[in-house]
Amino acid sequence: MPTSATSSPPSNTTRSPPHQLLRRLTTTAACSESKLKALRELKNQIIGNPTRKLAYLRLNAVSAVVSILQLCFHNNNDDDVSGHLRGFNYVSGHVRGVFGDVNVVGRGFGDVSGHVRGFVDDVNVVGRGLDDVNNVGGVFDDVRGHVRGFVDDVNDVLDDVKDVGRGFGDDVKDVGGGFGDDVKDVIVIQGAAVIGSFACGLDEGAKAVMEAGAFDLLLKLMPHPNFKVVDAVARALKLIYQSKFAPKFDFLQEKNMEYLILLLNNENENLTGLGASIITHSCQTNAEQKVLSDTGATERLLVLLRGSLAQRDASLESLASIFKDNREVTSKFVGPGNGRMLRDIVDLTKDKCPRTRLLACILLIVIRNADPLYLQEIQVKIKLIEVLFELVHDSGQVGDEAPFALSKLISDNEEVQKLAFDANGVDRLCDCFNKYLSLPRRLEGIFLALADLCSKLECCRSRFLALKGLDFVVEALGHDRAEVRAATCICLRNVTRSIKNLSAHEFMNETLIHLLLPLLCDKSYSVQVAAFGAINNIVVDCMPHKTVALRSGVVKILAGLSKSMDSTIRLNSVRALKNLMFLASCNCKQEILLELTLSTLTSLICDSEASVQEQALSLVRNLVDGSVDSIDYVLAEDCLLLNAVKRQLENRSKDEVLVQAVYVLGNVASGNELHKEAVMQLIFPQKDDKNESVICNLLKSNDSRLRTAVGWLLINLTLPDNPGTCDRVTTLRDVGIVSLLKNMMNDRCMDAKLRAKTAHYQVIEHGD
Amino acid sequence: MPFSFLEVAQVYAMASSKKVITRDEWEKRLDDVKIRKEDMDKLVMNFLVTEGYVEAAEKFRSETGTEPDIDLATITDRMAVKKAVQSGNVEDAIEKVNDLNPEILDTNPQLFFHLQQQRLIELIRNGKVEEALEFAQEELAPRGEENKHFLEELEKTVVLLAFEDATNCPVGELLDMSQRLKTASEVNAAILTSQSHEKDPKLPSLLKMLIWAQNKLDEKAAYPRINNLSTAALEDPLV
Repeated sequence: MPTSATSSPPSNTTRSPPHQLLRRLTTTAACSESKLKALRELKNQIIGNPTRKLAYLRLNAVSAVVSILQLCFHNNNDDDVSGHLRGFNYVSGHVRGVFGDVNVVGRGFGDVSGHVRGFVDDVNVVGRGLDDVNNVGGVFDDVRGHVRGFVDDVNDVLDDVKDVGRGFGDDVKDVGGGFGDDVKDVIVIQGAAVIGSFACGLDEGAKAVMEAGAFDLLLKLMPHPNFKVVDAVARALKLIYQSKFAPKFDFLQEKNMEYLILLLNNENENLTGLGASIITHSCQTNAEQKVLSDTGATERLLVLLRGSLAQRDASLESLASIFKDNREVTSKFVGPGNGRMLRDIVDLTKDKCPRTRLLACILLIVIRNADPLYLQEIQVKIKLIEVLFELVHDSGQVGDEAPFALSKLISDNEEVQKLAFDANGVDRLCDCFNKYLSLPRRLEGIFLALADLCSKLECCRSRFLALKGLDFVVEALGHDRAEVRAATCICLRNVTRSIKNLSAHEFMNETLIHLLLPLLCDKSYSVQVAAFGAINNIVVDCMPHKTVALRSGVVKILAGLSKSMDSTIRLNSVRALKNLMFLASCNCKQEILLELTLSTLTSLICDSEASVQEQALSLVRNLVDGSVDSIDYVLAEDCLLLNAVKRQLENRSKDEVLVQAVYVLGNVASGNELHKEAVMQLIFPQKDDKNESVICNLLKSNDSRLRTAVGWLLINLTLPDNPGTCDRVTTLRDVGIVSLLKNMMNDRCMDAKLRAKTAHYQVIEHGD
Repeated sequence: MPFSFLEVAQVYAMASSKKVITRDEWEKRLDDVKIRKEDMDKLVMNFLVTEGYVEAAEKFRSETGTEPDIDLATITDRMAVKKAVQSGNVEDAIEKVNDLNPEILDTNPQLFFHLQQQRLIELIRNGKVEEALEFAQEELAPRGEENKHFLEELEKTVVLLAFEDATNCPVGELLDMSQRLKTASEVNAAILTSQSHEKDPKLPSLLKMLIWAQNKLDEKAAYPRINNLSTAALEDPLV
């Protein structure tokens, strides 16, 4: 035994360095016992220790383990079981035989199920080739007879084998002599535990496990006659399915569904856990949800809600993925006549185990979001809010996830937001900041929950500001985790929706702006977009000089980003500039235009994205609003801007774009005679052209916003006591505007109706 | 003591409005409460199983026919882990836990940290300073980087190394047996939870409920009270 000299078995106090341990795993000459010891040491080194896992991942340890398992597999199985489906097929035949019958034997004789394999290798050969379940069952019936005969011997062996399972001391060698397969099985059990541990809670590990082919190998090992092996392999597969790297399970294949149901129907926790994890991981589409609800999987999960702790939690999680956004499936199981099911889930929100409480809350939120008909009772809503607020303080992962669930519960639902506010929600979440500054995931969730609370209700925003919430925002904007920065910006965006505080210039503070500006160019896209959301609101500030904003250099940054290749960034920077332009002074407008330039603005009006066009036109609308002098901008450089507006009007653009274009014209038309004439020139290029004018088409539009906008434009063009009004009215009458306006006086839209009345009156007055 | 008179007066006033229940009446009421023997047996079995008295549980099963809600073999394994921690063999305990269920320590970072911390404490206790320092640096420091709370606990533990007589240093209590017991009971609870078993026995919480209920009842009535929980003897009310 050449290996024993180079790699001594580990003593209890020292552990082998990674490269040495790995050599022991990969040395081909090593006997199976020494490999088993090495595997076991690897397992004990990596469990619970992400740093160590990473160290072994760098040494390609997963591949080494897979190679060892492959040997065990090939020795055990001569059949070519390739491909998932055949693998599943193969399993389903065995599952019934192994999990059903042998378990019965096992129960009668204590731990026999593990030992049957020692006597019945021939059974495996028979069982392997057979898809016919009954035959397998029959074979096992024979086994039962055998086992009974051997039961005394079995009991003698039993203790030894138990030691293999627990101590793995020197007994292994002894047992290995008589029971080669036992060592092999224990190797598989240890190897599966190592693979499962690598995949558990570590993305790099799960990825390596998939790349090394461990997943497929484990699937092939599932139909194993030794129940302990099946248990260990199922546990490893379950852990892999809990990572995002596991392949998607195809529920739409009938064989796969059969296999899944077999897993779920088993009593063993790791098998049901694997089934549930498969659903949680892979169920995404409506069709998949439907299949799972039609084939009995959902019923079984509902039964498992009354199972063990692990089964309960796994069921809650997979039920959430089956019900998510699917009203039909949801009402099938919790609808009329199934009220008890809902009450059971509500009861689980009071469970002792925090994770169960959280998962029950999440499932209820999913049910409510799938169909708002459910969970209307105010008491249940209050209960959910209370449970989730308490869970935020759980010390583990539950505490990290609770604020996200809270956010899902209250987002877009003003009633629940009010309930959360009444439950002192803003205070309770703000209290968390100091406590959990060092827990980024939780901090992110808390900011998101606060963002949702402040999304609609002014009382929440006021309370947040009164509690000096902005101080926490200032602190978190510079957080080193992108997710926290993004969540902080989203929270700030919603808080800054407060018109009252915007008018009081509460948000125009230099620290805030200086921290936000770099985030507009953050390396994380989601932070960039979220920062724009906040900036967009803050710059609305109604102070005409906008000194703080201008001094900060925000305009230069926004002007630069408005040329971005990414349309979302372009859209957001133009929107921010538009808001900055809102009620700005002449100097301020000039400064913005100087940075942005007329030519950039012109190309933004003609952008490839309609949403950008709309915001760019809206920016021009704000530019020409207010002082008459500012209207001159549209006439500058040979009417560069006005021509761009004209192009949009003629291009049959989207209604949203047209609305803004018409408002630009309306604002220009509110200026002096020169301005009004420029607009007339634009909408009636040739005076004698009796073709239907663009303006008439717009008046006939189905979009009431557009009809209203044109109404305003006509009012401004026909204002009485202006020298050119008479000529303009004549032109307008010639194209039939009077009858169009008359029609509009019965408009469904009150706004459009009122504008039409005024314009009609002014036109008629002049005509007379 | 100017206030004592007032207090007595209040107690007297309350006592006078209380309903008095005589011993006979009380016992008659107690007799009317039907409790199934099987339920009582289950309660006892639950206590034996949770606390890990495997031999007693086996005996109790054979005498009463009460089936434990857990495989008794797992109690032996669990007790072996607990014993290993209590006797300072933390590494042994960790290996045993991993054999029992490899998921426990992978999904419970706090427990894993406490076990590693206990290992560090044992190294310091045995005077293996260099090994302790290396262990703290390699195994515990990375956990401290991930979690501020762990870092504080690690710092507190390392303080032991700075004192010649560690037992008399400000964090000397870490070397107490109580620290081992604390860690052992944390592992015990985690194993129980992983076996879907409640981590605390039902009996003590039932007794707590009894005390609470008696205190509540004291406000309204005078009745034969149970003051000594170990004998559960009814004591006549002071009227």
